[in-house]
Amino acid sequence: MACSPGAPSRTLEYYFTYDPRSLDPAFSTDVPTGEVDALLFDNLTQFDVDGRLVPGLATSWEVDPAGSRYTFHLRTNAKFHDGRPVRATDVEAAWLRALSPKSLGGRPWPLYPIRGARAFNKGEAPGVMGLAVADDSTLVVTLEEPLNIFPKLVAMPSTGIVPTPTGDEFDQSPIGSGPWRFVEWSHDDYIVLAKNPAYWGSVPLADSLRIRIIPEPLTQAAEYERGGLSVVEIPFGETRRWEERHGDELERRPTIRDLYIAINTTRGPLGDVRVRQALNLAVDVPTLLQTVMAGRGLQAHGVIPPGITGYDSTRAPFPHDPDSARALLAAAGHANGLSLKLWRSQRPEYARIAQAVQQDLAAVGIQVEIVQRDASSARAAVRKGEADLFLTDWYADYPDPENFTYPLFNSKNAGTGGNYAFMNDPVIDSLTVRLRTTVDDAEKARLARETDARITSLAPWIFLWHPVDLWARSPRVEGWSIPAIFNGQRWQQAHVVR
Amino acid sequence: MMRFLGIRVALLAPTLLGVLVVTFLLLYVAPGDPVQAMVGERADPETLVRLRRELHLDESLPRQFGHYVGNILRGDLGTSYITRRSIVSELRHRFPATLRLALAAMLFATTLGLTVGIYGAWRPGGWVDRFLTLGAYLGVSFPVYWVGLVLILVFAVQLRWLPPSGSWGFIYLILPATTLGMRSIAVIARMTRTALQEALQSDFIRTARAKGLGEARVLLHHGLRNALLPVITVLGLDFGSYLTGSILTETIFSWPGVGRYVLSAIEKRDLPAVQGSILFLSVLFVFVNLVTDLLYAKADPRVAYD
Repeated sequence: MACSPGAPSRTLEYYFTYDPRSLDPAFSTDVPTGEVDALLFDNLTQFDVDGRLVPGLATSWEVDPAGSRYTFHLRTNAKFHDGRPVRATDVEAAWLRALSPKSLGGRPWPLYPIRGARAFNKGEAPGVMGLAVADDSTLVVTLEEPLNIFPKLVAMPSTGIVPTPTGDEFDQSPIGSGPWRFVEWSHDDYIVLAKNPAYWGSVPLADSLRIRIIPEPLTQAAEYERGGLSVVEIPFGETRRWEERHGDELERRPTIRDLYIAINTTRGPLGDVRVRQALNLAVDVPTLLQTVMAGRGLQAHGVIPPGITGYDSTRAPFPHDPDSARALLAAAGHANGLSLKLWRSQRPEYARIAQAVQQDLAAVGIQVEIVQRDASSARAAVRKGEADLFLTDWYADYPDPENFTYPLFNSKNAGTGGNYAFMNDPVIDSLTVRLRTTVDDAEKARLARETDARITSLAPWIFLWHPVDLWARSPRVEGWSIPAIFNGQRWQQAHVVR
Repeated sequence: MMRFLGIRVALLAPTLLGVLVVTFLLLYVAPGDPVQAMVGERADPETLVRLRRELHLDESLPRQFGHYVGNILRGDLGTSYITRRSIVSELRHRFPATLRLALAAMLFATTLGLTVGIYGAWRPGGWVDRFLTLGAYLGVSFPVYWVGLVLILVFAVQLRWLPPSGSWGFIYLILPATTLGMRSIAVIARMTRTALQEALQSDFIRTARAKGLGEARVLLHHGLRNALLPVITVLGLDFGSYLTGSILTETIFSWPGVGRYVLSAIEKRDLPAVQGSILFLSVLFVFVNLVTDLLYAKADPRVAYD
């Protein structure tokens, strides 16, 4: 019998549900690629397990009073896995590579705010004028306009620092400077990483980390129960069983994620805010959460989830009030009800949520036809504005109120950019831009609350909940906890105890 | 024989052209934007336009089809939109795993199916025969997905005898091969039982017995050889479908084969990967059928192809 690869006792076992697209940070457009790149590569900044922005390759950074010029100071003891020191010129070269027209199809947008970056990306300029290397350990970045989230953008996987020029097959066997170095990748099967003993930060306690590719949730659970995985995410439908059988091994964490039903505000009666409010009042979110999701969620009070600046716990969520919903519908001229189509993808929990919402809306006279498509087809239709309602979710790219407001509600992002409600409100447009540009933290917090309040009052979504992640951690493994953001767990403290 | 082979190979061309046209059109008719799936949610419209141009997706359908067929004729299945790797190399990496699984499933199904079928023909109507026949019907009836999950629950979770996923040796093959072969066991068993029973009523069997041959020799040498003809056809078709249609089994057991690659490509709207894979699998299926026909001729001298 052949041995399983990389399986000494000090190996941690993790999994992805599908194969990463690539191991090249420039092409990090999916979650598995982002997660594994966070292990292999460093960024100037990074998120810790609680989602706080902390130093990465940059030990510190400052911004000028106008908010458009950042100076990053790099650590001098960082080395790539091949032993070369990481210098400011490497950062510049890595970002130029990510922005290069040759990297078309990747994820350059976190670097677009840099002056001249878009022109370079389009092949209209030979370089990026906003990037300047002051010395080996100092990089000065000038932006097109003030942007307070820029230090968070450079924590995103696609801005990871690679040694340039990269060799052939870099996407298959990369060299980074992160806490783990690449060992092997067998597609659709596993990736093996080994600890980087020369890492500038905490050297991983375990010797190696094997990431299996296991698409089926029940197989993941079976593998965990046999001791083949260090941790496993518990499917919503399995919550009760795991609470009974593995209660001591479970960890919970509210996510910075919105689960919602986007209401296309440009389609017929849905343009009327009273109708949208009625939809919110008609849905019994607390009951839905308990019955369909086994209580794994926090009812949404607005768009910004708990833990993010601007979250307002004092604002009451929409109550379940069918009478008021009927009254609002009547006032809007729909006393005899409405017929709408609710689009959803094939995720199993979405089927149950959609059916429950359908029943609640029927109780106030709104007939809902559920349209089920695969995720890609459903999104394509929604982007074209063909759906009345769309059941979906939003994962934070970076933990910041801007990420829950500008892409989702600024009119520039209608349809394609993430604004599936096709919201077009000048007040929201103005607030979301000011939220991005202010350099005053207190002002940003105030603007975030005001933006969230404005959005909630206009009810462009049926606000459902912020899901709570539930994972089981093997009793043999310590030093691991659920990350707040997908690239926040770097597995440095995790280790096998017996 | 050679003439037959020539005709069959020549017939491949229109078959594969049909496959090319259908896969190409189906994917373009299907909703979903491959470019958006490639770059994610927040790509700006300008980037999407540039990418469409780069990938020739902004050209007319006949022109796109022309590019596609041109590449195929040069032996190039294209490059995946998502991974940016050559589809030929992606398939080359995954096909051995699919072949390994298909062969194991075939071996398992053939061994068990023939054993059950032969026993049923030898001792028809007994309780063992009835039990095995019932088992055969159940095997056909249960969906692959259900069988796979039950096997995992019993043999991996409860008994802890076998691993639920992975592909690193013989022991990892047992559950997926059993799942994949389950339906065939039933079909082969029923087919063998019926054909062998018919054969055992024939004159040449009576002659063999009259000559004093032992029952085992009559059954296996004279009876089974004649009964195997329809079974060969079933085996060929099933082997073809194992190679091309083990998507569910590969997904349940995390088996890194072609089936999972196709499924993932469909989900991500990776057009070249879907088209290349389907073309590859179609050629494979046709080839397996051709080999089955040739084996059929070998097994039955009465079959004349000229």
